[in-house]
Amino acid sequence: MQRVTGGVAVIPMLALLFIIAVLLAQAWPAILLNGGGFFTHTSFDLGNTYGAIVNTHGVRHPQGASYGVLGWALGTVESSAIALVLAVPVSVFAALAISERLPAYLGRVVGLFLGTLAGIPSVIIGLWGALTIGPLLAHRVYPLLAHLAPKVPVLSFFTGGTGNGQGLLTSGIVLGVMIIPIVASTTRDLVHSVPKLPKEGGEALGMTDWEVARRVTLRWVGPGIVGASVLGLARALGETMAVAMVSGVVLSGSPGSIFAPITTIAATIVTQLDSAFTDTSGFAVSSLAEAGLVLVLITLAVNVAGRLLVRRVASTALPVGRGV
Amino acid sequence: MSLSKRALAAVLVAAGIGLAACGSSSPPSGVGSTSATSGSATSASGSTVSAGSVPGTDLAPPSGTVNLSETGSTLLYPLFQAWAPAYHAAYPNVTITPQGTGSGTGISQAEAATIDVGASDAYLPPSAFTQYAGIENIPLAISAQQINYNVPGIHGHLKLSGQVIAKIYTGKITNWDDPAIKALNPGVSMPNLTIVPLHRSDGSGDTFIFTTYLTDSAPADWTAGFNTTVSWPSVAGALSAEGNGGMVTTCAKTRGCIAYIGISYHSQTQAAGLGEAMLQDKAGDFVLPDMATITSEAAGFIAKTPANESLSLVYGPAANGYPIINYEYAIVMTKQSSASTAQAIRAFLYWALDKAHGSAPRFLDAVHFQPLPPSVVALSDAQIAKIQ
Repeated sequence: MQRVTGGVAVIPMLALLFIIAVLLAQAWPAILLNGGGFFTHTSFDLGNTYGAIVNTHGVRHPQGASYGVLGWALGTVESSAIALVLAVPVSVFAALAISERLPAYLGRVVGLFLGTLAGIPSVIIGLWGALTIGPLLAHRVYPLLAHLAPKVPVLSFFTGGTGNGQGLLTSGIVLGVMIIPIVASTTRDLVHSVPKLPKEGGEALGMTDWEVARRVTLRWVGPGIVGASVLGLARALGETMAVAMVSGVVLSGSPGSIFAPITTIAATIVTQLDSAFTDTSGFAVSSLAEAGLVLVLITLAVNVAGRLLVRRVASTALPVGRGV
Repeated sequence: MSLSKRALAAVLVAAGIGLAACGSSSPPSGVGSTSATSGSATSASGSTVSAGSVPGTDLAPPSGTVNLSETGSTLLYPLFQAWAPAYHAAYPNVTITPQGTGSGTGISQAEAATIDVGASDAYLPPSAFTQYAGIENIPLAISAQQINYNVPGIHGHLKLSGQVIAKIYTGKITNWDDPAIKALNPGVSMPNLTIVPLHRSDGSGDTFIFTTYLTDSAPADWTAGFNTTVSWPSVAGALSAEGNGGMVTTCAKTRGCIAYIGISYHSQTQAAGLGEAMLQDKAGDFVLPDMATITSEAAGFIAKTPANESLSLVYGPAANGYPIINYEYAIVMTKQSSASTAQAIRAFLYWALDKAHGSAPRFLDAVHFQPLPPSVVALSDAQIAKIQ
């Protein structure tokens, strides 16, 4: 029995290794030909697919084909970062409210809504973002933000034309909505798991409810919140359909402002795979596989960084002994 | 190559990166019997295809049970959806399963033999014929592309030229009251409204023929080339949408929008209240896409259509010819896994091109396609006869 469970536990590991191996094999011609330039510029140019197929360094490709992942990777990381910045505070407050402040029945109702939100297909959220909330924000809210932001370095990123609702900020907001249920429900379960004793101790010392929440409960679950955020971040990085619908899918160039259209690696792959199939040399598909590999590596890096962070926070931040 | 492509697709799905469903898992087609009689009948009829007409014997599929799968162009998909049950009703032993996935998928899966018939809006490039020995692109019908707009207060059809549209999509013309648009539409009071150019976010045969039109009609203004995906010049406020359905919905929601939408979505663009532009053809006339203008544009290309039928029909010299039309292609490999599959594909394609059957108005009118001219049908028939 033990041997069986051990064998089953290896499956996820094998699956990941298999995915990376196949992506690597597919991407190999692109890695050879795209070289380091793949990471330093932004481009999706199939080249002259109606011309002759040429051979460079042993790799067949249409004349003029050019691929660069920089902008797509930046779009992926930036939109996910915006989502995290928006979703984590909302989620933590929601979790505290559900478990500490709201009457139990109301907490259950809010929890039900969170669960339902988590279950909405991303294409529906994408539709809502593209047809309703994106245009609304772009016409009513973004102009205010762009007007208020000072024209100084860094903050000037928040100025400029606000477009018609497709872009970096809209993508971040839509992604934020999508990861709130993940971060909030995980945080809620963590808050539930905080033992009564330290909280009562805090109250006995004359702390208010808010002070107990801030100084005891939050400190107690701090590492867990980091872990929950990493879960949400991983979801945001890989989200595909919703971003394909609200990002604008701009395949070349990097956004000059937070309102500008972008693309992400996942959205690029899902929208461009069919076009890539028209490249008979297979170079376009290979380049998309290389981009997929970059996404897998970004996700891996986020997970490793998250684990390290959890360990750091866990070893320094706990105010009370764990074994209470 | 084909195996690794499928493996990649499987991995992308597994990785959760997301990908539209790949090849159907239907069993290998052509399960049915291949009697000696039907085989010989086929080879006899295959060699006696006459120009412009389809002998009745060609329409007979094999007698056993046959499943044919089709995937590719989402523009052709509604037509295949109408054809499949009608064909099954006529020949109950033949089942056709259509899928709308995209032209690139149709081409690559036909080449890999994971499906029997691929569908594409774009003609095959010369490299495809050397890369995939025995691949054919066989025109089934003629489609067209509308240029639609959402400009409140404009009744009737705005006149636009390739040059003006190219300048809009490159950000050189940004307002509907631009002098260049006014010059094409004397007497029309153009509103002061920012133009929102809309393009496809997914790879698309529509993008292919639209950018071909811009390349051919405005080479000085449009330098991004033509393909199923191009690097769109950055235009402030520009939007993208997925699929023709997404184009209609987004354009209807966006004041000032201009969009390119397949003619098979004509009823949807009308229902959404979008305007439909009269386009300037090479001869200088402004024309709407209808039976007369599409037929007259296509007529200019009949003599130019080569034996392999790979040809752009965009921006031809015909007077009163609508400038954005294209052949809708079936992508088929000449070498099939079995004689009965080959016979079934031939019989179905002959049926599809027959004006009494698949190319009858009751099928084509619903998607606003036009039937092929008789001499192009003859070329298609000759290509179909090679499927063995």
